[in-house]
Amino acid sequence: MTKPLHQNRVVVTGLSAVSPLGNTLTELTQNVFNGVSGIKRLDTAFVDKLDCKIAAQANFNPEDYFSKHKFSMLDRTSQMALQTSIGAIKNANLEMSDTLKSRMGIYLGTGMGGANSIEEGYVRLYKEGLNRLKPFTVLMSMNNAAASAIALEHQITGPNLTFCTACSSSAVAVGEASRLIRHGYADAMLAGGAESLLTFGTIKAWEALRTLAEEDIEDPGRSSKPFSADRTGLVLGEGAAMLVLESFEHATARGAIIHAEIIGYGSANDSNHITQPTVNGQATTILAALADAGLAANAIQYINAHGTATKLNDATETAAIKQAFGDHAYKLSVSSTKSMHGHLMGAAGALEALITILAMQNNILPPTINLTNPDPDCDLDYVPNVAKTLPNLEYAMSNSFAFGGTGASLILKKHD
Amino acid sequence: MTTPTVAEVSQVLAKMIADKLEIDVATIKPDSNLEALGLDSLDVFDLIFNAEDHFHIKVPNDQVAISTLQDVSVLVQRLIVEQKK
Repeated sequence: MTKPLHQNRVVVTGLSAVSPLGNTLTELTQNVFNGVSGIKRLDTAFVDKLDCKIAAQANFNPEDYFSKHKFSMLDRTSQMALQTSIGAIKNANLEMSDTLKSRMGIYLGTGMGGANSIEEGYVRLYKEGLNRLKPFTVLMSMNNAAASAIALEHQITGPNLTFCTACSSSAVAVGEASRLIRHGYADAMLAGGAESLLTFGTIKAWEALRTLAEEDIEDPGRSSKPFSADRTGLVLGEGAAMLVLESFEHATARGAIIHAEIIGYGSANDSNHITQPTVNGQATTILAALADAGLAANAIQYINAHGTATKLNDATETAAIKQAFGDHAYKLSVSSTKSMHGHLMGAAGALEALITILAMQNNILPPTINLTNPDPDCDLDYVPNVAKTLPNLEYAMSNSFAFGGTGASLILKKHD
Repeated sequence: MTTPTVAEVSQVLAKMIADKLEIDVATIKPDSNLEALGLDSLDVFDLIFNAEDHFHIKVPNDQVAISTLQDVSVLVQRLIVEQKK
């Protein structure tokens, strides 16, 4: 005998981000709709040793938020994740009762977890020649450190999982969290992602992959050029983004303000190559989300694209959108906000879902900046350079794809 | 280098604890219970780690139970004397 799954509606009631475009929703909203770039020359001691000297750093100082005792035990990734969990719960005006804490979980995405801590350890051993590591090294660098820190902070005792699917990690986390609520396993979830990997070793590893953008000669801030013919690669970024998800029933019972509804989630794997995406793989992901939502493709009005600004992704993603949407691909709008906030890796999907929600709330589509040189292979409406008003924006999609092949598409609906 | 007394070791450790917890060093006494001050077991490992660096000693894993600052100070001072030989 099979047990029927509860089918709850899933709504977003809390939002928070630490990002290269600001650490408050007000700042982020202003910057993302005004086409402001968060990409700069990297502010760090080792910048001269880098071939790629640009990145999208978050202006985040842990001492502004936490005691030294607390933040000194957390990697920068966990610090940012923890701060956004506090911000999202506050934004949701969620009262953390004992009942809720037991019916709430945490799903977080991260690509490299505590990358700063593991590298600091290796520097001590291999560079400084010291023979032992700090006692917290394991606890600060493990991939589930951030999600655990959040659980400890709020005493949240429900399911606590960390998703590690490279660039799609936090889109997967949000999608899987929505399913947990939809099927009745939780009433509320903190779902998001965090990434801070702007270390010397990690940037060098990325340089070796030859996927990083060349610095724009005139303006480092213009180096990320998604869908443009002169795009040269992605710009690494750091930050965290967190959503509070609730069942519609739970949210309305407490009179919560609902930011948006998550009506669909799809995930698929290219199974083609460790780095090369396929049109079929990406289209399958998109179609899976549409099927999950029970929504006709022509209902989608806006797509926040993965849009990394690598040669391969942007052309593949454009073709995948055409394959999935047919003629409607030319009627909807697509933009890559990575042109402004860079590629937040494990935090990218959550930040971009959050920005998609801001778009629905403000009826404005964020632009793809630095798109001045059209690529014949990328011939959709990418909202070039300037934000666009769309008063009746009701259905939007946020796409994330990844090295390793795991894609995730989320479909969001405006809540009236 | 002259071997520090337990009281001198205690002063150094108290300063480390005060720095970590951002509290006034004057509030930390030799008989202060470390847990009551706000240090958990991992924080004590961290304190010992820093003491090893500062006093150039190695604290073995099979150490005695520690509950107060005095316990750590006595242990560290004993190891300084022993490992100097």
